[in-house]
This record gives sequence, C-alpha cells and structure tokens, in this order.
Amino acid sequence: MNLLRNALVLTGLLSGSLIAATPTDQIAFRTAFLDGQLPWESVSTAARSEGAIDFYYWGGDDRLNVWLERTVAPDLEKLGVTLRPHRITATSDVVDLVLTEARAGKGLGQGSVDAIWVNGENFYTLAQQDLLFGSFAQKLPNAAWFDWDENSAGGSLNLYDFGYPTQGREMPWSGEQYVCAVNRSLMAEAETPHTFAELERWLEANPGTFTYVKPPHYLGNTFVQEALYEMSPEGAQGFQQPLDSFTPESLARLLAPGMAYLKRIAPLLAQARNGIPRYPENESALMQLFQNSQTAMECQFGLYHVATKRASGQMPDNTEEIIFPRHNMIKNKNYLVIPSNAPHPAAALVFTNYMSSVAAQKSKLAAVGYPLGLDLWMLSAADQAAMVEAMPPHFGVTQAALDSHIAPDTHASLVRVIESLWQSVVLQGSETPIATLVEQAMSQSK
Amino acid sequence: MSRQHWLSLSPVLLVMLLMTLGTLLFAVGQSLGYAPQYGINHFPTLRYYELLVAQPSVAMSLGLTLYYAVVATFLALVMGFLLAMALLRVGRHHQWLHYVYKFPLMVPYLVGIALVIVLFGQGGLMARLSYALGWIDRPDDFAALLYSHYGWGIILVYLWKQVPFMALSIYVVLLGIPEQTQDAARLLGASRWQRWRYVVVPQVMPGILSAVLICFAFNVGAFEAPFILGGGFPDTLPVLAWRLFTDPDYGQRLSGMAVLVTMGAMLLVTVWVASLLSRRANRWQRISA
Amino acid sequence: MKGVSHNGKALLVGVGLYIVILGPIIPVIIQSFAFQWHWPDLLPRVWWWSVRADSTFPLAWDYVLSPYSHVFEAAGNTLFISLSVTLLALILCLPAARVLVSPHFKWKTQILSLFTLPLIVPEMALALAFLAVFIPLGLAGTYTGIIVAHLIPVLPYMMRVLVSVYQGLNPAVVEQAQLLGASRWQRLVHITIPLLLPGILAGCLFTLLVSSNIFLITFLVGQGRVETLPTLLFSKIGGGALDATAAGLTLIAMIPGFILLLATERHIRDYQRVGAVGRSIDGSHR
Repeated sequence: MNLLRNALVLTGLLSGSLIAATPTDQIAFRTAFLDGQLPWESVSTAARSEGAIDFYYWGGDDRLNVWLERTVAPDLEKLGVTLRPHRITATSDVVDLVLTEARAGKGLGQGSVDAIWVNGENFYTLAQQDLLFGSFAQKLPNAAWFDWDENSAGGSLNLYDFGYPTQGREMPWSGEQYVCAVNRSLMAEAETPHTFAELERWLEANPGTFTYVKPPHYLGNTFVQEALYEMSPEGAQGFQQPLDSFTPESLARLLAPGMAYLKRIAPLLAQARNGIPRYPENESALMQLFQNSQTAMECQFGLYHVATKRASGQMPDNTEEIIFPRHNMIKNKNYLVIPSNAPHPAAALVFTNYMSSVAAQKSKLAAVGYPLGLDLWMLSAADQAAMVEAMPPHFGVTQAALDSHIAPDTHASLVRVIESLWQSVVLQGSETPIATLVEQAMSQSK
Repeated sequence: MSRQHWLSLSPVLLVMLLMTLGTLLFAVGQSLGYAPQYGINHFPTLRYYELLVAQPSVAMSLGLTLYYAVVATFLALVMGFLLAMALLRVGRHHQWLHYVYKFPLMVPYLVGIALVIVLFGQGGLMARLSYALGWIDRPDDFAALLYSHYGWGIILVYLWKQVPFMALSIYVVLLGIPEQTQDAARLLGASRWQRWRYVVVPQVMPGILSAVLICFAFNVGAFEAPFILGGGFPDTLPVLAWRLFTDPDYGQRLSGMAVLVTMGAMLLVTVWVASLLSRRANRWQRISA
Repeated sequence: MKGVSHNGKALLVGVGLYIVILGPIIPVIIQSFAFQWHWPDLLPRVWWWSVRADSTFPLAWDYVLSPYSHVFEAAGNTLFISLSVTLLALILCLPAARVLVSPHFKWKTQILSLFTLPLIVPEMALALAFLAVFIPLGLAGTYTGIIVAHLIPVLPYMMRVLVSVYQGLNPAVVEQAQLLGASRWQRLVHITIPLLLPGILAGCLFTLLVSSNIFLITFLVGQGRVETLPTLLFSKIGGGALDATAAGLTLIAMIPGFILLLATERHIRDYQRVGAVGRSIDGSHR
C-alpha cells in the first residue's frame, strides 16, 4: 500500500510541471517525506515544479541582503527555484502572519511563508501553536555536516533552541556569540572589565560610557540574561529549566540579584537624565552611540562583527573585542524553520538543504561574517582548513579564548518573564516585591 | 435631487463612508471588545479603556502628545506668519523664492527626520561644530536635543515641514484680500491697526484656522518623528498605540485601538468646537463692523 | 530705488530660507560619499571613493544604486501606486464635484465636512482600522489594498480642488456655445475640458504629492511586502542613525518631491491649491 501511495505521489509530482500541485498532493508529499520514503530526487523535481521560495528574514544587514541576492539566488536558479527574499523588521511579525493565515484556514500550500530565519522565542511560539512543517532537518542530505548526537557537547545546539527541543523542525543556519567590543582610545587594556562586577566599578569611575539595547529586543534580553547568570548563585545552569518547574518564589530568588544589579547601574548608563537612562531601541541606535565615542563599549550578537564593521567603516580602526563576561558569553545558533502552511514545501526543503551545504556556509562566512551553522568537526580535514581560512579575523582576542567562555541561553519559556520583570523593576523602577511581579508575569505567560 | 445626481455621487460617497466611517466604527467596535479575528468577544465592554486609565504612564503620554502638538503648531504659526509677510513684500518680484520655501512640503516627513538626525544628533554636525569652536568637550554635552522628552528634535521636524505650510496658507489668504477693501477703510480714516483688526483679520481667520487645525491634528497623530526621535518611555500616544498593537497579547492590541479611538474622538471634538467658535466670531465681526 | 530695496530684502529672505531649509541637505550629501565620518570630524576622515575598489562589498552609492538596495523597485512602486491612486481619485471625484456645485444640491456642506474627516483622524487609526478589515479580505499586503487605503487621505484634497474648479466654471460660457449651435460633444471637448484642465491637473499633482509621501498606511497595510521610497527610508533610518547608504537613500527620496515642485510651480496658482483646502473646516464657503 505504501509503495502504491508513493508511486502515485511520485507520478503526481513528476507531472506537476504541467499541473500545479494541489494541497492534497502537498500533504501527501509531506507525509511521504517525513516518513523517509521519498528519495531526494523527487524532492528536487517537486521543487522545480513549485519554482519559487518565499524566504522571510531580518533585513537590517546589508551584507546579508547582498549575499542572498548576489550569490544564493543564482545558485538556487540552477536548482530550478527562484528565491523571493522578503526583508522584515521584526521576526515576530512573520510569526504573526503565519498564525493569522493558519487561523484563516490556510493549510499547507496555501500560506505565504516558506521559510523564516528564527531562533528562541519565535521558534517556541511557532511550536506551541503547532505551526511547523515537521521534523525535516535530519532528513536533508546536508544533515551529514551536523552533529545530532544527544550525548555530544557540540550537538546540543542542534537539538535544543533556548533549551527547548527542536526535534528537527528547524535546521541550524548560523552560530552566534554575544561579543562586546571596546574603543581602545577610550578604554585601556588594563581597565577593561571582564565581569559585571568590574563593569560596575568602571561605570562608577566613568559614568555614561556604556549602555545596552532595551529589552524586549533580543539584544537587550541577552545582556540581561548574562547579568542574571553572573549574579545568580546557580549560574547559567539554573536557567535551563522550563517555566513550570519554578514557583514564583524560587524564580524570584533566581532573578532578584541580577535585576537588582541592573537597577543599580541604570543611573550610571549612557544618556541618563535624572537617573533614568534612555536605552537604545535597537542595534543601530547602540552603534550610533559607539560611533560618536559616547560609549566606550558595546555588546551584541556577532562573533565577527568587529571585523565586518571595521571593513564597512562603521567602527573606528582602534576597536577591539574583549572577553566579557567571563564564562558567561552566550552562544547559540539560529535556524531556518518551515511553517506548516508553506506554499512551496519542496522548494523550502531544497532551499534549506542548500543553505546547509558546505559551499553555502563557507561563502556566507566569508561574505557576510556569520559564524558557521554546521559543525566544523563533522567536515573533512580539507574542508575544515578551508573554513578556517574563510573566517574573518579577530581583534584583541583569539578564537580559542572566545570558545572557552561560552554559556547557553535561558530556557525559552523564561524569556517573557525576564522581559516583563526588567520592564517593571529596572525601567519603571517599581518597588513592588519581586516575588509578586514574578507571579504576575508567570500568570500572564500561561 | 435627481437620480443622476446620486449616481455621480454614490461611488465616492460609498468609498468615503465605507472606508472612513465604516472602518472607524470597526475600530470603535474593537476597542469595545468585539474582535472575532482574535477570538475575543466581550462586546460591549469598557475594560480596554479601563486598562489604559489605570496606568499613569498613559496620562503622561497624552500630556507629551499635546505638548509637542501645541508647541509645534504655535511656533509654526508664528514663524509661518513672519515668512508670509516677508513673501508678501518681496515674493511677487522674485519667483525663485517660492521654489525654495515650498520644498519641504513636497518630501516625506522621513526626509525631514533624516535632516534633523544628521544636524542635531548628539554626534551630529552642530555638535561637532560646537566642539570645533570649543564650546563643548564631549558629545554628551551637546544638549540632547533629539532624544529627550523636551522633544526639540521632534518639534524641529514638524517646523521644517509646517512653517512652509502655514506660510503658504497665510500668504495665499492674504493675497486674496482685495486691495479695495483696505483702501476703502483707509479712506474712511481707519488706522493701520484698525484696518488690520476689522478688515484683514476677519477675512484671513477661517483660512488660517483651517491650517492651524490641520497642523495640530497631524501633530497629535504623528508617528514617525516621535518614534525615531522620541525620548522612549513614556511615548506619545500614536507610538504607544503602535507598541500595544504589536504586542502578541491580543488584549493589549484592543487597548491600542482604544488609544486611537480616544485620540480620534478628542481631535474631532476639538475641530468641531473650534469651527463653532470661529463661526460665532465671524458672525459677531460682521455685525459689529 | 524701490527695486533695490526689494532686491536687498529678497536676498536676505532668500539666503535665510536657503540656509534653513536647504542647508541641512549638504551634510546628507557629504555623508552619502563618506566611508568613515565619525566624531569629531567636520569632514569625512576616509572618503568612499578611496576604499571602494578594495572592498568586497558594495559601499555607499555602489550599494544604493545597485539592485540590492531595492531603491529602483521602491521608486517604481511609489510611482505606480500614486498614479493609480490619482486616476482612481479623479474618476471618483470628478462627477461628484460637479454635483456638489450644482445650485440645487442641498447637502454640499455636510458632504464636504465628511471629506475633512481623514485630515483630522490620526493616520495610524485609519491604517490600523484598514488592516483589521483588509486581513480577512485578503487585501493586506497587496497593491490593491494599498491603493484603496491611499485613497482616503487623498480624496479630501482632490475633492476640494475639483469643487473649486467646477465653481470657477462659468455656465454662461457653455450656454453661449450651446446657443451658437455647438453639439454636446463639441461643448465638452472644446469648452468644458479646456477650462477644467488646469484645475484637474492641479488636483492630480496634489494627489500624486500626497500619495507618494504616505508612509504609515503603506507600512501597515502593506505589511512589509510592498516597498515604497518612504517605507524603504524608514527601514534604514528607523534606528535613528544616518549612515552613508541611508544618506544616499534620503537624497533619492527627495527626487519625486523635487520633480513635483517644479511641476506644480509651473502649473498651479497658489490660490487654487491652498485656498481650496483652506476653505474650510469651519464650513464657510465663498
């Protein structure tokens, strides 16, 4: 029966170039693919007949935009698929779009979003709302370059996104590490802080020379997470459990020291008037302060961001990276996800597979400066050497040093609570006991 | 009223009624709790309005919004008036002057915002000039024109666009006053001030009032400038509405609608009251003159 | 002597205007050609042209004028949308304006008041209300949806200009032609249309202007799927910074306005343009 059904699907797909695949065909396609019954050639053929892929991604990085249109699009044309890149300002908007379309009854083949560049909270939302195509990642040919071993230390980021199991529903695309850079003409080597405690001392001596992006922006959230890790007695490990494993009191105990710290340093931050800082809303505003020499230090996701920004003139030539904070530099991956109502599922699979290929990962590394999504140790020695060759340079630190101070993100379910607590305690200066605020936030998250 | 009349009128009326009144009614309905697309139907309820009133920051947002709107409109009126007078004196002989001052009217507000950023930002050109002249030592010393709640950056953007608008409105209206009435008044012995008060101003008022109301309404409802150049929390009402509207919690979105409905109602009332007062003033002027 | 003092004053006013209104554009131009222009430099430390050959990545104008910046696509969309809106507005308003000025029509004031609504209600309220209605209709993110949404802010202007145009049309002229034996078609083509044309053109230019500058409605109703020059500019400067590519984009975003400025100054009398709008929210019609 299986054989007959698959034969019918194959026939349907091969003749798909003459007739557009109906949603029923595509559902059959999905079932066959996820069962592992479909050879990759049929996926390629189906993709050719679908002809296009709608990729939604954050459009704020010009290098990425250029790479997608200059390098990726022609390569995909050769595979018979036209890339349609959609630049968006906030990934949550696309998640919203998928949700709205699903609610309006649009199923597989009828939506507008084929692939999204996501991680963390947005993936969590999609998963909770059951809006994912399925467990496709390990079935792609290029999955061989990724470590899917539960027990290996390196494999965890392929299997867990913000502590939440990916179950192969999203494919790792880039790695990232939260790195801080300093302006050496404003901060000498000797006075560089390497922990939050040292940062507080620096700020007391040099107020107004640092700030961080405002939560709930993910850059702000990550900084807050790192502060929480260092200030909490349990460190990063305490934040890996899901929300429902905490009581309001236990969670409050975990979060209170970090929040108190952030509240303490708030008046010392840049652009503070009457003790209230004006936090930059996004990376662009943060960079502006750094470029004007108003801040001496800035932190964002970007393992190679100093190299790329020095090359595009956005950072002065004396900018260097630093190790901050020791042992708590958050490292994660970001992924490509296929929603459940993708209009061109086969093309989406071909696209994701292409993005996971050695060649594409290398050209992305060199052209855009995004760290590898695949795992270096899974490649051949020659490929490994080529990758290392393609990596942009570091300034002031070594790759080995950066690798030895990493920490994971918090569990995805904690993010909303942390955001809300930061708003109340640090931004609005609420005097309400933290346990109460945590309780309110927890009930809103349910 | 013939059928042909209605046939000619109905397409545009339909569009206006459906799209303006219709969608606004929809917005009002949403703010009162009717939002089936979000799976919410508590209609009718005032809870989304109550949520707003309960937060003191909303009152601050309202205050900020009105402050920027009133200050910008007032300054635009004064400066626009001065410009109009200057144009009246010399504009007729120099056509090129008209090209220059109308330029800001032709470009999007975002262009004005870009200009203000590059000039008046803390690392902007004015700050660097001040540094070069030795007036300040660090970028922070340059008055945070843009990103504070005093909002001078926002007001500057409004002025860049609205001073020409006011000037144009006033200039055109002043042009429209026939010389004869002023001459007649002069012949009858009226002083300059009296000519101004009883001849020029009544004729000029309605046009200027419209311009002022348009500017004020725009400033209250403006989004781009306070969003990009504003001082952060608490934001102006339109920015607040946008933040609420992009919140994943649907209840917050309905609160956002409530903010917008309140703003719209406020503005409509203001305009209606202003027009009533102006009509009364007009009638009084004509009677007394 | 009077000519000299006029010239002197004009010069003063003109120079002042140039500095205040157009002066700020100069730093934007400089920024668009800069590679490194940081505090506290008054001029760029490193210019774009000195590094562009070595860069693997298009910088400044290389990027802005490349297909990657989407600037030409945005400009095309802006043009297409504003032309469509103008055409639609004209079709809707022309017959309606004629009816509104006819002496037997009693509802003129009320209907014109309806048309002032979009000028008062905040653009965000309109845009979000449209979005709420368009999403279930499937119009969100489509050109059609955006064009229809643009109509609302535009109709007040088109309506008022056309009303004033028809008011200025002297029926006696047309009647005389009729008495002299001109057919209906001849009256239309040789008398009515030429008399109306300047006003119609004025209304169209005005509408083009308003529509091409709209940001919020396009941004919200278009859901990021349709890029126009204003939305592209917003995505670049929304962070509050103006780098070289943003500066180049700002300059390009000024071009339609500049063209419209030249066009309007040549074709519209000031009276028609603002006098029509100025007449009025308070309902007094002369």
